[in-house]
Amino acid sequence: MTGANAQRAGWAILIAALLVAPFAIHSGRWMEFIELTLFAALLGQGWNILGGYGGQYSFGHALFFGTAAYLQALLQYKLGWSPWVTMWFAIGGAVAVGAFVGFLSFRYGLRGSYFALVTLAFAEAFHVLSRSLISVTEGGRGVQLALNQDPEKAIETFQFTFAGPFLSEAGYYYTILFCLLIGFAVTGWLNHSRFGAQLQAVREDEDAAEALGINAFRVKMGAICLSAAVTSLAGIYYVQKFLFVDPGIAYGPGKSVEALFAAIIGGLGTVIGPLLGSAFIHLVGEFAKETIGAMLGDRPGVDLILFGIILVLILAYMPRGLVGLAEVIWKRLSAKKEDGHA
Amino acid sequence: MTKTKTFDQFSRRQVLAGVAAGGAFAAAGTLGVPHIARAADPVKVGVVHPVTGFLQFSGTQCRFGALAAIEEINAAGGIKALGGAKLEAVLGDAQSKAEIGAAEVEKFNEAGVSAIVGAYASGICLATTQAAAKYGIPHVVDVGVNDKIVGRGLENTFRFGPGFGSITKAGVDHLIAINDAAGKPTKSVVIVHENTTPFGSFMAGLLEKNLTPAGFEVKEVLPHPTGNKDFNNIALKIKEANPDLVIPSHYYGDGVLFLRTLQRQRVKPKAIYSVLGGASSQYRFVNEFPDAAEYVMDCNHWFDPRKEAAQALRKKTEAAGKSFSYEVFLAYEAMMFAADAMERAGSADRAKIIEAMASSNWSGHFMPYGPTKMVNGQNEGAQAMVMQVLGKDIEVVAPKEFATKAPVFPRPA
Repeated sequence: MTGANAQRAGWAILIAALLVAPFAIHSGRWMEFIELTLFAALLGQGWNILGGYGGQYSFGHALFFGTAAYLQALLQYKLGWSPWVTMWFAIGGAVAVGAFVGFLSFRYGLRGSYFALVTLAFAEAFHVLSRSLISVTEGGRGVQLALNQDPEKAIETFQFTFAGPFLSEAGYYYTILFCLLIGFAVTGWLNHSRFGAQLQAVREDEDAAEALGINAFRVKMGAICLSAAVTSLAGIYYVQKFLFVDPGIAYGPGKSVEALFAAIIGGLGTVIGPLLGSAFIHLVGEFAKETIGAMLGDRPGVDLILFGIILVLILAYMPRGLVGLAEVIWKRLSAKKEDGHA
Repeated sequence: MTKTKTFDQFSRRQVLAGVAAGGAFAAAGTLGVPHIARAADPVKVGVVHPVTGFLQFSGTQCRFGALAAIEEINAAGGIKALGGAKLEAVLGDAQSKAEIGAAEVEKFNEAGVSAIVGAYASGICLATTQAAAKYGIPHVVDVGVNDKIVGRGLENTFRFGPGFGSITKAGVDHLIAINDAAGKPTKSVVIVHENTTPFGSFMAGLLEKNLTPAGFEVKEVLPHPTGNKDFNNIALKIKEANPDLVIPSHYYGDGVLFLRTLQRQRVKPKAIYSVLGGASSQYRFVNEFPDAAEYVMDCNHWFDPRKEAAQALRKKTEAAGKSFSYEVFLAYEAMMFAADAMERAGSADRAKIIEAMASSNWSGHFMPYGPTKMVNGQNEGAQAMVMQVLGKDIEVVAPKEFATKAPVFPRPA
């Protein structure tokens, strides 16, 4: 089997496995685990478009997550709009914020750590605004959506918790999976499209790319808008699942860190990287909790120390992430195979 | 002689192989074998709190209280209606995040818990109660004071302690009574509150709404984020506004820093009367900073100081090197409430425990509440009390039937 065919087969198996998971896994705990993994993968995928493909490392991706989450929640809470309508405003709002931050940063040629700090600053500014504009955002008290317990209205209200047996278990799972597949599709397109090639050229050497006639500003603006759109899907999912958002959840550093960790550990600028990274992070976290918990009993936080050590080891030994490791293993196996045939 | 390998002698391949093996071991260990319930099994109770993350201090205090209750129940013979079945805690860490709290509830469900106690912060409680409702697991909220936690139509959700609305109302009512009794020495107010979480902002809004009709002039409302590093600016603003009364409302760390900053900046209003002030009625604060704490008043959760069980728990808590804070005794009582419901239900069945909780008239607690009366999941008898730091101890000054001392109001100049 050629490399491309093996890759296609791998994708088909992965997507099929994800699609049938609710039928095969009858554990709410493991379904929730997978959902949280897919959620972090989606955040990572949003970050990966700008950071991995475009080389623009953002430290404030919570900006897009939070803006979408707030718009999704506020339009329902204050105006009583349907969640199916508000989601388009949420995506649009996140893209608008992305375009605004991108314009200000790229127009004035901010790169590298300067860009990272600007995004961090914007996320913090939105954090403060969301706390202070009480008449608009409800301030620190947060926005809580009405809970629907009528199974008949599960689809209409975009709330599946109390829906019939199947929707109750699988509704949110398929929502986040569908969003992640959109993320995969966008990054897959970046791998093969002219725009993606331009974006990667800008990442490698912006000045050289401009010398070749690529409009770096336009390309980076496109990337930040796409990145914001994909990240906004995570915000919409979060609000519909937990029905609550406050400034800390929306614009706190937690979501930004989660996003960049998944992408960096999995493999920057790759389609599968954020999912691999997220799965790895969650598995290690669960492993640390279970084993350390079993060994040491009630020692909260010790598991996080082990988690940190493993992450440091990975970052030190695998600069290209898990995808890089997989490529090395694949190449060695292929080389051995060829040697065997020779 | 065999040479010991140093770390840098391990190849990258060896390190990665080790990590991969660990991952495989983890997967095997965590997937585990299905739990098979037996008649003689203890009754499992999920205990979820934010024991890591930015709410770690309060979460750990809560966990201590809940586990202390389980220890006492088991030592006293377990759940008698279930043949002395022991309670077994299944511990969960919400990591100060709502989504992790909800995921822990899934773990509890698989572990077969009969009830859940937790989850301290309002935002986490909203998520855990909702997740527990999906499986019909009775959930006793120990601290989360947001009024929206109960009354959403979730039949599984109960709160033994008071919520925002009731605490604020009690705070304002007692303040008016204390002020009137002293000849109305305070008229103007500055409210200082945290605005990072739902707690402080909600509280400040309710206070402002209730104080103005009572004849107080609210001169300033000064918000600040949780974990504020510097209160000098706020102290100077208070100095400039020169109110008779300062009402702070925030978490412990901010409370300590705020009151110490007022002391250092020599800001001396006629009274400091906090409502759910994180530090004002904490023994830890009083012990560490007695001068800053003296005469500070606080309307908050408190126990009935006349009850022996409360004093016994205080001793036990302090013997364990912890402060007897509201988190400890609220989580303790929430667990006791759950155990009492199990006794009444005579069953570990979730639905039966929910029924018992809804119809509970428990009076064996040490809180100043009277027998439990649940209405839409809220214990209607629950109330806050007003404490004041006097002589380096915390005394109850209102309501009168529970008071251990009369309030010193205004404080001596």
